[in-house]
Amino acid sequence: MDTIANDFTINIATANGTGSQSANLILLQSLFDMGVPVSGKNLFPSNISGLPTWYIVRLSDRGYQAPGDRTHIQILVNKATWEEDLAALEPGSVVVWNMDSKMPVEREDIISYPVPMTKLARSLNPKLSKLVTNIVYVGILAELLGITDEALNKAVAGQFKGKTSAIELNINALELGRNYAKENFTKTDPYVVEPRPIEKKRFFMEGNEAAALGCIFGGVQLLAWYPITPSSSLAEGIIAYIPRLRTNDEGEATCAVIQAEDELAAAGMVLGAGWAGGRGMTATSGPGISLMQEFIGLAYFAEIPSVFWDVNRVGPSTGLPTRTQQSDLSMLYEGSHGDTQHIVVIPGTVEECFEFGWRAFDYSERYQTPVFGLSDLDLGMNRWACEGFEYPDEPMDRGKTIREQDVFEAMENFGRYRDLDGDGIPYRTLPGSGMAPILYRGTGHNPDGVYSEKPHDYFALMKRLKEKIDGSRDNLPAPILNENEEGDIGVIYYGSMENSIQEIDDLLEETGLKVSQCRVRALPLHSEVEAFIRRHKQTIVLEINRDAQLWGIMRRELPNDIVGQVHSVAYSDGMPPRARIYSDLILETINEVTQ
Amino acid sequence: MRERPARAIKLNVLNEPKDNYKGGPSSLCPGCGHDQISNVIITAAWENGIPPERVAKMSGIGCSSKTPAYYLGQSHGFNTVHGRMPSVTTGAYAINKDLLYLGVSGDGDSASIGIGQLIHAIRRNMDMVYIVENNGVYGLTKGQYSATADVGSKKKKGKANETQPIDLCALAINLGCTFVARSFSGSKKQLNALLKAAMSHKGFALIDVISPCVTFNNNDESMRSYTYVKDNEVTLHMTDYIPHFEPMAEVEVPEGNFTDITLHDGSTIRLETISENHDPSDSMAALTALHEAEDEKKHVTGLLYFDATKPSLAEDLGIVDTPLLDVSDDVLRPPKEMLDAINAEFLSI
Repeated sequence: MDTIANDFTINIATANGTGSQSANLILLQSLFDMGVPVSGKNLFPSNISGLPTWYIVRLSDRGYQAPGDRTHIQILVNKATWEEDLAALEPGSVVVWNMDSKMPVEREDIISYPVPMTKLARSLNPKLSKLVTNIVYVGILAELLGITDEALNKAVAGQFKGKTSAIELNINALELGRNYAKENFTKTDPYVVEPRPIEKKRFFMEGNEAAALGCIFGGVQLLAWYPITPSSSLAEGIIAYIPRLRTNDEGEATCAVIQAEDELAAAGMVLGAGWAGGRGMTATSGPGISLMQEFIGLAYFAEIPSVFWDVNRVGPSTGLPTRTQQSDLSMLYEGSHGDTQHIVVIPGTVEECFEFGWRAFDYSERYQTPVFGLSDLDLGMNRWACEGFEYPDEPMDRGKTIREQDVFEAMENFGRYRDLDGDGIPYRTLPGSGMAPILYRGTGHNPDGVYSEKPHDYFALMKRLKEKIDGSRDNLPAPILNENEEGDIGVIYYGSMENSIQEIDDLLEETGLKVSQCRVRALPLHSEVEAFIRRHKQTIVLEINRDAQLWGIMRRELPNDIVGQVHSVAYSDGMPPRARIYSDLILETINEVTQ
Repeated sequence: MRERPARAIKLNVLNEPKDNYKGGPSSLCPGCGHDQISNVIITAAWENGIPPERVAKMSGIGCSSKTPAYYLGQSHGFNTVHGRMPSVTTGAYAINKDLLYLGVSGDGDSASIGIGQLIHAIRRNMDMVYIVENNGVYGLTKGQYSATADVGSKKKKGKANETQPIDLCALAINLGCTFVARSFSGSKKQLNALLKAAMSHKGFALIDVISPCVTFNNNDESMRSYTYVKDNEVTLHMTDYIPHFEPMAEVEVPEGNFTDITLHDGSTIRLETISENHDPSDSMAALTALHEAEDEKKHVTGLLYFDATKPSLAEDLGIVDTPLLDVSDDVLRPPKEMLDAINAEFLSI
């Protein structure tokens, strides 16, 4: 039988809260340490314990990180989804299943490995048998696929850092699973793991932790937050790093943390911090941004630096709280009532989560406006290979803030909202300084910050704000271009779609279609984006939502002569993007527009 | 022409004339209680020798929240959004805890849309003065009842209010607020002493000031009109404030009994007993006084409750003693070696 090495997907069906996550992470880490390109997706429910959860591990020598089209190896532990999971398998798939669950496996067209997982687990530790069951299936897989003990032991040690009894229990359980497989199964499936040389050492990291670290290195001074999935681990990441990175020898921190009473208050605190001259931020998700809208408008209109991280989950409303989507883009870009426009930075990798973590503060203070970091559940809460973080290559940009009396006195014609440099960005003084005090307000105001309803004051203010944000576009992260000289089709995408784009590109190429790619990393759009569109006959905008939000923004903002050549492929079902769905839709769209 | 002798301008301990504490002209209705409160703020800040640039004037939305434009023109201020002034103040405080945060709010701002934020600011013992200019109606939207309107009270137009009011002082006492007072915009002397004491307090100081709305709620059937409050005010005690920079000996000792309460900056508020002695450290007595007054359709004023023992938010935050605003960028951004170390640790896993 021919073997299939490092090119298959394992789906592990368990129940939430049974400890399967640590077993799954051990599996993932051990494959990673063997040099196998691997990705893990946690599909978990909005629940503390009991509801179904799936963990998808994809091995791909080509480096594909999307979940893949199908499952090759199914681990069945959860009775609740047993029949459904079994029925979804293609003929020839492998099932490793728990015999003790007393559930049937009545398919002749699959390769079946029954394991008395519960009995084995009980034999090792009756009290913790539920937890141990999970690590038993990792042991079975290790034997069937050829995962080394060395890699497993290292992953266990990393997972349970120094907790000797947990490490011992897990190593024993792995052994138990491996021995059971050795003694009872003759391998009849083709799937194997082959170690690969590690050319460049990398590590696994969640986007939220990377963003948290970035914020710490961005000099965050106030984190005001309200817990919400999937952003809580970003806030908790900051909290976890403060003692080591932002605390002096006396145990006093240089970053305050306040868990607010709700998202409105969190946003208010962020504005208060910005108004006082500090770097304030919050981390939230779509429902939180909905609640923060009023403050976002105030920050825009009163020109208060403020940073908001949105780890996008599935909306509308409570939506699918533990699934992923790119559906908050237009809400962030045009947040709050009235005419507004905001800076949005959109990381597509863990390294960018870190980089935009510190840069967001610089943009916010430079432009005196709210800045949004848009991540999503897939990027934020799943583990991605990371090469390490680069230290900021420029000092903190504190913007046009006057802190010294002599500087202030040398200024002519100062007004809090007067455009002295022609870039739409005014100067500001800070509370407590005694310099040019004003009453900040969300009402109309003249260049001196005094209340005004005069038509020319309002018109000039709104025009300046527009010019100010417009002026930021080419100073924000430029798009990443990957151009194919033969191709006259361009694909524009953003954010976590980065993890599926290589596979989408290969699937398109299999049909003979060569495309160029442009990954947008910020709004307002960089001028390079328009140039990219002009270099291609047709451009597809690819996104993980229903309403084609980026496409909508582009249609409105691009010059009329090219709007007609920009088309949308937008699809979302809550799952991380599966490459074939998007490649099929791209082909369909291209056929329509080129006919 | 004969030279006029220069009139001696009175100066405070900072050698500042009172004019330096004034603001712009008011756009409120002539006779509005809020303007009287603004004047008391000016006087109290001046007499107390507060450097105006060290005050942050905070407000929400409503008639009351417009008033920061009318006092302390040399202070920065922030007229925020409706009911959300406490959160903005909290964020500013985290960055610069050395400013005196002087919040002004109304009954719509504090008892309705922003009641949650008020409650949580009290819960954190945010170090600020929080004045509620309480008239029982929404003025800017032309006279709807607010959540503090008393049962049976009737504004100029429409039916009498039948909905139970929220007593912000009772609420605050129940929440463990560390300084709770009620006053009346017409009782300038009392309000002045209470306000100065609140400025000297470290923690959340709530002063609920009954402030008649002359346009919509100053008719005879209203329980928040000038006439009604004057006739039905129950004063707990005469109040006097002795600043820390004035020796006690210079203060005229009043006849009868009094209680001195020492505030965080060493100043004293002196409560002169009128009839029954009210003990401001007794929250039960304070609540009883409030409920009895409500039953009798009266307003009780004075320092209702005081507690100097609770830590304020600054202690809870665990931050450096220097205001975060003044921490330099090279301290805020950890050095490259720390990031290198973190990268190395992850790579060694």
